[in-house]
Amino acid sequence: MASEVDKSLLIIILDVNLSQRIVRQETKVLTQCLDSTIVFANAHLMQKSNNQLAVMACHAHGSLFLYPDEKHSEVRQIDGQYERFTLVERSVRQRLQEAISEIRTDRPLNSESLIAGALSMALCYVSRLEREKVAGEKLNSRILVITASNDSASQYMNYMNVFFTAQKMGLILDVCSLDQELTLLQQGCDITGGNYLKVAQLSGLLQYLLWVFLPDPSIRSKLVLPPPVKVDYRAACFCHQELVDIGYVCSVCLSIFCKFSPICTTCHTVFKMPGPMPLKMKKKKKNIDAVH
Amino acid sequence: MAEEEDEKEYRWETGYEKTWEAIKEDDHGMLEASVADIIHKAKRKRQSERKGGARLGMMRHLFIILDCSASMMNQDLKPTRLLCSIKLLEDFVDEFFYQNPISQMGIIVTRNKRAEKISDLTGNPKKHIKELQNLQHTALTGEPSLQNSLELALKSLRLLPSHASREILILIGSLTTCDPGDINPLIKTMKVEGVRCSVIGLAAELCVCKRIASATGGEHSVVLDDKHYKEQLNAHIDPPPATTRLDAALVKMGFPHHALHNSTTDAAMTVCMCHAESTDESSRLMSTGYLCPQCLSKHCELPVECRACGLTLVSAPHLARSYHYLFPVKPFREIAYESNTPSSCFGCQKSFSNTEKKVYICDKCMNVFCVDCEIFIHESLHTCPGCANNPDTFLKNADSLPAT
Amino acid sequence: MSNTISGKNLLRPTGLRCKNLHEYLKSRPPDILNKLYHNPPICLAVFRELSEIARHYVMRLLFVEQPVPQAVIASWCSKLHSEEHQRVVQVLNELNVWNEASIPGGLPGWILNSTFKKNLKIVLLGGGKPWTMSNQLETDSKPRDVAFLDSYALERWECVLHYMVGSQQQEGISADAVRILLHAGLMKLDEEDGSPVITQAGFQFLLLDTASQVWYFILQYLDTIEARGLDLVECLTFLFQLNFSTLGKDYSTEGMSEGLLTFLQHLREFGLVYQRKRKAGRFYPTRLALNIATGQNKPLSSDLEKEGYIVVETNYRVYAYTNSNLQVALLGLFCEMLYRFPNLVVSILTRDSVRQALKSGITAAQIVGYLRQHAHSKMIEAGPPTLPPTIADQIKLWENERNRFLFSEGVLYSQFLSQTDFEVLRDYALNTGVLIWQSERKRTVVVTKAGHDDVKRFWKRYTKGSN
Repeated sequence: MASEVDKSLLIIILDVNLSQRIVRQETKVLTQCLDSTIVFANAHLMQKSNNQLAVMACHAHGSLFLYPDEKHSEVRQIDGQYERFTLVERSVRQRLQEAISEIRTDRPLNSESLIAGALSMALCYVSRLEREKVAGEKLNSRILVITASNDSASQYMNYMNVFFTAQKMGLILDVCSLDQELTLLQQGCDITGGNYLKVAQLSGLLQYLLWVFLPDPSIRSKLVLPPPVKVDYRAACFCHQELVDIGYVCSVCLSIFCKFSPICTTCHTVFKMPGPMPLKMKKKKKNIDAVH
Repeated sequence: MAEEEDEKEYRWETGYEKTWEAIKEDDHGMLEASVADIIHKAKRKRQSERKGGARLGMMRHLFIILDCSASMMNQDLKPTRLLCSIKLLEDFVDEFFYQNPISQMGIIVTRNKRAEKISDLTGNPKKHIKELQNLQHTALTGEPSLQNSLELALKSLRLLPSHASREILILIGSLTTCDPGDINPLIKTMKVEGVRCSVIGLAAELCVCKRIASATGGEHSVVLDDKHYKEQLNAHIDPPPATTRLDAALVKMGFPHHALHNSTTDAAMTVCMCHAESTDESSRLMSTGYLCPQCLSKHCELPVECRACGLTLVSAPHLARSYHYLFPVKPFREIAYESNTPSSCFGCQKSFSNTEKKVYICDKCMNVFCVDCEIFIHESLHTCPGCANNPDTFLKNADSLPAT
Repeated sequence: MSNTISGKNLLRPTGLRCKNLHEYLKSRPPDILNKLYHNPPICLAVFRELSEIARHYVMRLLFVEQPVPQAVIASWCSKLHSEEHQRVVQVLNELNVWNEASIPGGLPGWILNSTFKKNLKIVLLGGGKPWTMSNQLETDSKPRDVAFLDSYALERWECVLHYMVGSQQQEGISADAVRILLHAGLMKLDEEDGSPVITQAGFQFLLLDTASQVWYFILQYLDTIEARGLDLVECLTFLFQLNFSTLGKDYSTEGMSEGLLTFLQHLREFGLVYQRKRKAGRFYPTRLALNIATGQNKPLSSDLEKEGYIVVETNYRVYAYTNSNLQVALLGLFCEMLYRFPNLVVSILTRDSVRQALKSGITAAQIVGYLRQHAHSKMIEAGPPTLPPTIADQIKLWENERNRFLFSEGVLYSQFLSQTDFEVLRDYALNTGVLIWQSERKRTVVVTKAGHDDVKRFWKRYTKGSN
């Protein structure tokens, strides 16, 4: 329809945790990542006048929006840069500076970044924009996570909730890892249909971003992009945190165990010992017996 | 009968409800604000009814009994009762499997005093939807038979392991049923077997339906229009609290590998097990798929019961999709907006203006949210952004779940 | 995109063509193009008008210093879309965004136009000189908000349109603007009294959306710019600076050349900028100036037009919630007016009223496009389709009604002496595929002009043979 207008919203979540391995090795890395991210953000805005942008930072103690920022919306051009880009650059840098100086030092710093928290805020933000849009407007949203920290299993629940909500909202999650393979976020990419990329050379970060993550999902099929990675969907058991091919699932809370145990450690349910079972269960019963 | 004594009285037997008093005009004599308020309150109410931590029957086994008698030709639901039901059921099936990924469903139709199983218990929504669509041009004849169809459903449900929840959902448009014998013993059997039977009537309330529902712990309702019909159906998407006599068990499951672009050139093109027997166009050779860890047979989608060895195959996210029922976000506390509350919503960053009368606070992380975010968090996200962003609280959400 | 009715498509039928930015630039001499690329705002505007794939090509090449082999660039686009790739290559060549360059190994390659690259980088990364209008300003004592600017812009623009339809309000439009209207062929001088009257093209112009109107008008203005002694490059640069400015912000006129100040006054007259006084030293761009050249990536039309006001029902009634004389007059071009209320006009689409419009050169697509552009938000919510399909189809059918005759040039053969002569000639024409029409009773044949020589030769041979 002529009356339908597409808008493309990109939310960038930049991990600024100071205890990331690559940052601890060389502090300059963070500045370099920030520079690349800002240029990439502006490159997105440069594509179309309708494109929208939000930038978030996340670290071990929380996350916050760097742009848009209602407090700093006035800016005058100082050089040939497009005014809107200057505004992005300035408010991101300013807000990040404030944020980093606010990080409390009385807490151990080496904890993990709260990426799932940042993602959940991003989803709230997207759902607000969806509510506020006018008739005849179509909002295509996606989230890009740029991180060098590990995705830890302690946020597993939050991650999964975020992934499924994103899938339901038709929102795409892209992940750019700077350091290690992120199995959880990889699953998120696969569930939502986004791209996952582990950057091989940090010095070329901007080029990686422009190549892989700048194209809108609608045009990705036309451009040749790296093939999808093999996602490991195996579950880890709750008892030993080991990946299992075949496991036992508690019928009440769906916790996964690698061996049969008489009591569920999650919901404290006592299981019926495998006794005489109806017809259909015969095969399974044999297997259980074999384990013991 | 014990159940009938505590039954609530009928609407026409209650006293006057002064519904108009709930609506108040604002300064300009408009009603919109007041109506919005009522809608909002209703939404809040639904959430507060949802209790967390209850034992829910996760591996659900549901039979849908659909009336295909002559009464379904009636056009009080547009275009006809049957077509309306089919349309709504299609959505229902999708949403059911989205929310209950490792559950199974079967469909029975009843007409001409007979019952016929059109799809057996399986976890594949596509099959059900296909069968439902085939029903569109079916002949609607005779009377339905409640007893026959319940017995047919019971025959399958009886075989299930004791940890699985057994449910029947009846959609009946007829005001009569033609049964071969007394239905009361059957109701007792269902009660003993722990089958929860709910009824949605399309015409009017029937005593027998009401009795079946109340005796087996199910729900009974009569639809008012198609919207109400949809709501009534959707009420069955959330898993019902498990009855206490349900046995818990550990179920063996397989977590298959994603056989995608397998290493080198050895990814031979093969037909997956799910489509090996069918000859239609959907059975084509593929190199991708999921391999059963027990017998290495290939399947094209999850979750599925392995055709070769009967192992239930799921992926870890499938299980995770149900976790939010076990660990729901606690309802937020409603507080009046004052000057000392934060200036913007923690979730969506919307700045509160004076028009905001109520804001919501999470008691765990003490962050403040707007109305819309509050609803969004409880209805779809199931994670409090405040708690997830607080290094002290983000774990508590999952503290009983040491995670993977 | 095929069913989108852009300004360009609307104008095609009668030859009034509105060029988009690229077409305009392509029609300029190459040295002007290079001069234009020295200005970052123009580079940004050109970049934004490129197709999506072309934009990604440019982005990928932006930080590459050496030429890149053509084969490598071709491999960026998936094989299924190679046609699109070809089109992109052609556009980038035509606009001189990239140049051919050979790579040491002898392979043909492409390298971005260095001026274009340098200035696009300035836009993105900073550096270079600030744009002319961005001098520091003290805060305005009486700042103007967005709502004020919108109403101002709309009022000024409607003034021009009002003048065209000959509504009562004829003040407030300068001789300069009239000259542009005449130059653009939107109005012409009446043969009798010499006063300007609207032309066919003018009617079509009126039915465009505001953004396309402004762009068309500006293009026509630019044509006359050199005659006014203004510098085209300077004015275009300024125009695109306006395009990329922020609504509701004031900008300084300090440091602007005399020519630019004149240009600014012209823009002020059409409502593209707001200035309190001629010498105020500051000005506010309005929505009309923003996104001026965005042909394909149009912002929401409701941004510009405020609210749609037309409701079309399947019974051919058209309800317009408006009290603007201009809007009523525009509807009157193709509707029959029934009632008028303070905020509502009721009219009906009839065969006669639509034919009337068709006769004056308006096309069915334009009518449908106009109704769709200004559809009431309730209609948009109810859609798609926004308009009842029966109405849209019927308007098109009414147009087709007028196209029942098919004209084809031909040569008439008649007065055959015998039925056999006639039949021989007719069958020959039929077999060679040049027959247009024949009548056995009248012994008449019409063949195409192209086939005439051949048929004539055949006839001569035939008559000789029979003799």
